[in-house]
Amino acid sequence: MLFAMVLFIVIPACRESFFKKSDMYDTIIIGAGIGGLVCGCYLAKAGMKVLIAEQHYKPGGYCTSFKRQGFTFDAAAHIFGGYKYGSLGKIFKELGVDKKVEIRKFDPSDIIITPDYKVSFWGDLDKTIENFQTAFPEESNKIKEFLYFLFSPEPNSFARIRSWTFKDLMDKYFEDDKLKAILSFPILANAGLPPSQISAFIGAKIFKEFYLDGGYYPGGNMQALPDALVEIFKESGGELRLSCLVKKIKVKDNKVTGVVLGDGEYISSKYVISNCDARQTFYKLLGRKAVGQDFLNKINSMIPSPSMFVLYLGLDTYFDTLSESGTKWFMLSYNIDKIYRSAEKGDFNNIDIYMVHVSPSNPKSLLAITIVSFKSKKYWENNKGKWIESFIKTIEKHSIPALTKHIVYKDAATPYTLYRYTLNYKGSARGWACTPSQLAVPDLRKPSFAQNLYLTGHWTTLGMGISGVVYVGYDTAKIILKKEKLGYNY
Amino acid sequence: MVNNVEKEIISIISDVSGFDEEEIKPDTNFFQDLEIDSIKAIEITVAIEKKFKISVRDEDVPNITTLKQAVELVNTLINQKDTA
Repeated sequence: MLFAMVLFIVIPACRESFFKKSDMYDTIIIGAGIGGLVCGCYLAKAGMKVLIAEQHYKPGGYCTSFKRQGFTFDAAAHIFGGYKYGSLGKIFKELGVDKKVEIRKFDPSDIIITPDYKVSFWGDLDKTIENFQTAFPEESNKIKEFLYFLFSPEPNSFARIRSWTFKDLMDKYFEDDKLKAILSFPILANAGLPPSQISAFIGAKIFKEFYLDGGYYPGGNMQALPDALVEIFKESGGELRLSCLVKKIKVKDNKVTGVVLGDGEYISSKYVISNCDARQTFYKLLGRKAVGQDFLNKINSMIPSPSMFVLYLGLDTYFDTLSESGTKWFMLSYNIDKIYRSAEKGDFNNIDIYMVHVSPSNPKSLLAITIVSFKSKKYWENNKGKWIESFIKTIEKHSIPALTKHIVYKDAATPYTLYRYTLNYKGSARGWACTPSQLAVPDLRKPSFAQNLYLTGHWTTLGMGISGVVYVGYDTAKIILKKEKLGYNY
Repeated sequence: MVNNVEKEIISIISDVSGFDEEEIKPDTNFFQDLEIDSIKAIEITVAIEKKFKISVRDEDVPNITTLKQAVELVNTLINQKDTA
């Protein structure tokens, strides 16, 4: 345990010599989502002068909370993973997030309920394995082999299977179609893509970080997480501007020079990191002149991940059955591709994949999420109410009998709401769709046409969810600090 | 040509790892010396494929652990492409 204690030594290298005196900031980060905040914390801690500009009046991106009629709801993200075994835990401890907020864990973190099985994901990995082995005894050895592979792959195992889908990975290990469906279900539920489309690497990452090491929750509500990061960022000398829209990223001689804000103010900076929507970054902030038509065509041909419909219910009672785990997933059939197609079509009378969650601090605030496509602003204006009612009925029928009579407050976020608050293209819940062909696109991390410009967050095609963006935010900072010979030691 | 391939690969590895180009020597081990993890191994492989418009066979990936090996493999694949 002693070695797990992290000593953060900022090397006060002569900063001045690295940056032009005329630059107002060393780095400007666009977007105070979790990825941008983590990145900003590392850069500020190493002595860089950092500004984070966020268009919303709250930091957090999809990881915010809000209050209505006495109920506190998490807006979208409601849990995180990778704290014990993944890089997220290492990063949070290194930054001291765990000193600012209490981090709790649901055990089990998730329960998947199918017509024949109830499978729980426990903090104790062996217990989870046993759970699966009892349900599928004939696949016993393979289950163990698969789960151990996820935890200790060779460093280039996933590079080898970079063009595989998660279905390919499932087929390599298992015979039983129901087991394959149950193992694939969390991938569809969290990435919004069926196993036949999602990259094996991203699928495996979701499975490991969201399920085998999932179910973590900050004390209070999810807003506590960005709030803690903002505190750390500011204590390290960082500056955060809220309600501050960036209008342009300025590029001169193929190199970024700074940004222009909504009110026309120009701010110069050596580095610019975009943690916001990638289409916006290229189309609006940089523009065709800086990016080139070929690249814009490429971006235009890329597919975003689906959006989601988030139902918020304030209840007059507690449901004990709900608080026994982090998240309950209801899988009403084993045909994952069919579930996906139906979600993609988006028929409110046919919701057959969804999750229900109550937060530990606000057990009367219920959150339910299902996958949907964006459709149009007008569609949601006309149909939001119908979706709310139909979603409630579905939950009542399959999960919580007599739910309706306990509802004292109801509202929902449609894909358009998600777009409005975060400017994510088409209300996309997870950035680009994580298909093998959209995995690790180099220009979406460090565009070749603009030096000192980096992207971070879930539009980098490298990871999604909180654990995904925490890693990319950290790694982006690490690359810049290495370049600048500004470092830290453990 | 060989030198160009090496230079391009060094530039890719430097971008992905953050290490200076001068620190990347022919025998530098990606995983032991350059902190390459699963994600970065994918980034490097994909970037090399896109840069040289080649496709690396899955079974060849475990053999790419140093710059020297990467350069040899890319040269072989480019030659195959040219003669195809």
